[in-house]
Amino acid sequence: MALLEVKNLTVEFGSEDKPFRAVDSVSYSVDRGEVLGIVGESGSGKSVSSLAVMGLIDFPGRVTADALTFDGQDLLTMPAKRRRQITGKDIAMIFQDPMSALNPCFTVEAQIMEALKVHEGGNKKQRRERTLDLLNQVGIPDPKSRMTAYPHQLSGGMSQRIVIAMAIACNPRLLIADEPTTALDVTIQAQIIDLLLKLQEDSDMGLLLITHDLALVSEAANRIQVMYAGQLFESGPADSIFAAPRHPYTQALLEALPERSEGHDRLRTIPGVVPGQYDRPAGCLLAPRCRYANENCVKARPEVSDFNGRDVRCFYPLNDQGQPTGMATGETV
Amino acid sequence: MLGFLFRRLGDIIPTFFGVTLLVFFLIRLIPGDPILMLAGERGVDAERYAELQAQYGFDQPIIVQYFDYLVGVFQGDLGKSFVTKKPVIDEFLTLFPATVELALMGILFAVFIGVPLGVLAAINRGKWIDHLTMSISLTGYSMPIFWWALLLIMFFSTTLGWTPVSGRLSVMYFFEPVTGFMLIDSLLSGEKGAFSSAVSHLILPTIALGTIPMAVIARMTRSSMLEVLGEEYIRVARAKGLAPFRVIMVHALRNALIPVITVIGLQVGVLLGGAILTETIFSWPGIGKWIIEAMNRRDYPTIQGGILMIAFVVMTMNLIVDLLYGVVNPRIRHKR
Amino acid sequence: MTENTTPSAAPASNVAQEVVEPVGAPPSPLRETWAYFKTNRGAFTGLIVIGFILFLALTAHWIAPFDPIAQDRTAFLKPPIWMEGADPRYILGTDAVGRDILSRLIHGAQLSVSIGVAVVILSMIAGIVLGMVAGYFRGWIEVAVMRLMDIMLSLPSLIMALAIVAILGPGLENAMLAIAIVQLPHYVRLTRASVVSELNKEYVIASQIAGAGHVRQMFVNILPNCMAPLIVQGTLGISSAILDAAALGFLGLGAQPPLPEWGTMLSEAREFVGSAWWVITFPGLCILVTVLAFNLMGDGLRDALDPKMKR
Repeated sequence: MALLEVKNLTVEFGSEDKPFRAVDSVSYSVDRGEVLGIVGESGSGKSVSSLAVMGLIDFPGRVTADALTFDGQDLLTMPAKRRRQITGKDIAMIFQDPMSALNPCFTVEAQIMEALKVHEGGNKKQRRERTLDLLNQVGIPDPKSRMTAYPHQLSGGMSQRIVIAMAIACNPRLLIADEPTTALDVTIQAQIIDLLLKLQEDSDMGLLLITHDLALVSEAANRIQVMYAGQLFESGPADSIFAAPRHPYTQALLEALPERSEGHDRLRTIPGVVPGQYDRPAGCLLAPRCRYANENCVKARPEVSDFNGRDVRCFYPLNDQGQPTGMATGETV
Repeated sequence: MLGFLFRRLGDIIPTFFGVTLLVFFLIRLIPGDPILMLAGERGVDAERYAELQAQYGFDQPIIVQYFDYLVGVFQGDLGKSFVTKKPVIDEFLTLFPATVELALMGILFAVFIGVPLGVLAAINRGKWIDHLTMSISLTGYSMPIFWWALLLIMFFSTTLGWTPVSGRLSVMYFFEPVTGFMLIDSLLSGEKGAFSSAVSHLILPTIALGTIPMAVIARMTRSSMLEVLGEEYIRVARAKGLAPFRVIMVHALRNALIPVITVIGLQVGVLLGGAILTETIFSWPGIGKWIIEAMNRRDYPTIQGGILMIAFVVMTMNLIVDLLYGVVNPRIRHKR
Repeated sequence: MTENTTPSAAPASNVAQEVVEPVGAPPSPLRETWAYFKTNRGAFTGLIVIGFILFLALTAHWIAPFDPIAQDRTAFLKPPIWMEGADPRYILGTDAVGRDILSRLIHGAQLSVSIGVAVVILSMIAGIVLGMVAGYFRGWIEVAVMRLMDIMLSLPSLIMALAIVAILGPGLENAMLAIAIVQLPHYVRLTRASVVSELNKEYVIASQIAGAGHVRQMFVNILPNCMAPLIVQGTLGISSAILDAAALGFLGLGAQPPLPEWGTMLSEAREFVGSAWWVITFPGLCILVTVLAFNLMGDGLRDALDPKMKR
């Protein structure tokens, strides 16, 4: 049984009659020791879906799902108190901007010890020792002196390590990392990802890695989900997705990687922008930007279906040669 | 920290000099011959006039008069009242505790009602409780303080008879002041009922005086809290699985109160201005009433000394607030 | 595979088609501000109330049933019309010397509005000029002006107003001047801060290169960009001016009797706390409502003009 099971998760905002679906019937699962990468542009709903898992979506957002279970327990119907016991202890999350993730009024040790106090108890001495341990684990040099530092005295990379230490303090079984390296310098990014992967391996955690960076996810993830405008477009094992993408969007994303533009004059891009709240297309959400779109795509919305073992949401999934299947000849551009 | 303190003092000292200058010349501009005021109704003949002039230094050029005055100020001598002939500084020190007691109560009222109201409004943003508390706040600082005081008296003292109308203590009690704070002195005196009398006399003036600061603090707390609640570290705190109460009271409030402290400090000036009106209405024997009476009686040394002392108190309070701000906000502490 | 719909005769869609229709020309700033302002119910109510008060102020002479200073010796301290012992001619009752309260309140509106507006205009003009000069020329002028403003701000406003009135003597005009002086530092500071932040902007430098003189730079180029916070402060200044004038009137140092200034009315009414509640309640209520309306409007303006709030 999967550690985290998400079936048809939908998160809506706005009025009841004209809601904005930030997340639209998305399903995925994460197992122990597995790294799932969720990839998408901003506005794809990837962050919102993980916030829903953590229970951090506030009124007026509405969260519905066929199933949202952690270790077999239903997160949606769980009493709030019980859910808070799981949050931060069994499921932990780290966010994008480490510089603003720490409370400026409290020291580093105070914030880490707080997580320990709330979930594990123990006396101050024990907690302090454990905090020192954690700081060592995340690779902070000279942790003793850093303990009494205030957040504004730390650099970006250091702050993110502290945030990670805080998150793994109670040995979570699932760690959700929402764009953990986006706000950091390139040189630090690799270090942080390596740290996350090492921690994941050592403790056999499930890791949900959310990012817009395909390159990142290619190295780190076992499986990948591609999201767009709140919908799941493609999901499958990382290797196969990179070797043979089935969704035109995935294909375009891969082509947009600088490495794949070798030999071309210009970098390839995906024209247009992700639809916002007020300009959702009636048909397939990608249709205005998709190079293969025909009139069917503009009129109707595809459902997720299985294509040779891969989940794809497209009327005309791509074959091994990268061409759409099922289209009448002469229809494509 | 020490460097911070010296820098602030470096700002304040010239300002204080400026205030002495301003006050000195302001008072000099008041029409009317001070010597005649001093002499009173009996009037004075030419010889006595010259005597008085020399005695008070009015025959010196104005610059010299100013420097004499300045020297006096630094020695703690603010001159003598024209009316009572007693040193101004003594009268100030005798009456000041009454105003301090009232102002202190007013601030406590303002903070202990204002901050919770602001927090309530922030966590229930957009709902009825938010609108209600903000309406109360808005009404609070749109009200003329003297009218509010009169209404309170009308309702609670005259109609309901729950509270007394004026003064600090019922005339039944008499004891020597020890600290000047009626609440403390009445307890020390051991007389039965004195303390509750002191308390009941304090209630209405405190409410009247503290309402405007309360309204401002409530509003400020709300907006500060809203800003803090939108911060990333609050979301992180919730992701840690902390109870909502803890998130708000420990994480959010600590940060939200930082700017509110500055506001509280600024309210001291408002309180002292309001004290003038409140003390007049409640016949509260503090420096507000003292200054008004001095103005009505053209008692220049008192007016001058009183205003100077008030300016001094306000500036000291601002300094304390600045230092407190440095203590409470770690970012400032380390930068400076 | 997936559901199929019958293909229509329309041609195949292309890459990168425009998803959103282009909108018309964006609304002018005034229109936009008004649109935001209108949605704020409190602010809008404030505006309506102010409109009503302005109406009273302008038409006082014709609307008020009686002469505000005429005394009716047969009708001392008559209660309002819905109470026992009332005189039906005097809807809100009469005061201690038989003057109709309603008429006095209406004329009081005229007084308060003129006080508020006059004080703010005077103070703002002086404040803008001073602040402009200080912020633009910087150097010792700035230091001197700002130091003076600091000194003025170190005294509580009411106390300074009292001191100035003590010099000039009690009376309405002197009270207004005193309040205008007391409000001055706020406008100076605001203007100077705005000017200093605008000075580094490129349009100013461009203008300078094009040869604009100082006066033009200050008042034609820079000033319009600083107006938003000044307008908000001005509106709120009207409400504090009204409150301060009433306070001075109450202390006997502002408008002198028999002028029907609301604060002055309250000073005459003090002794009737136990006996004639209407003489106390109504004038204060008028002050409250007027000040509230201006505060609401000021807040609404601040929200409407604040670029951060604009979605």
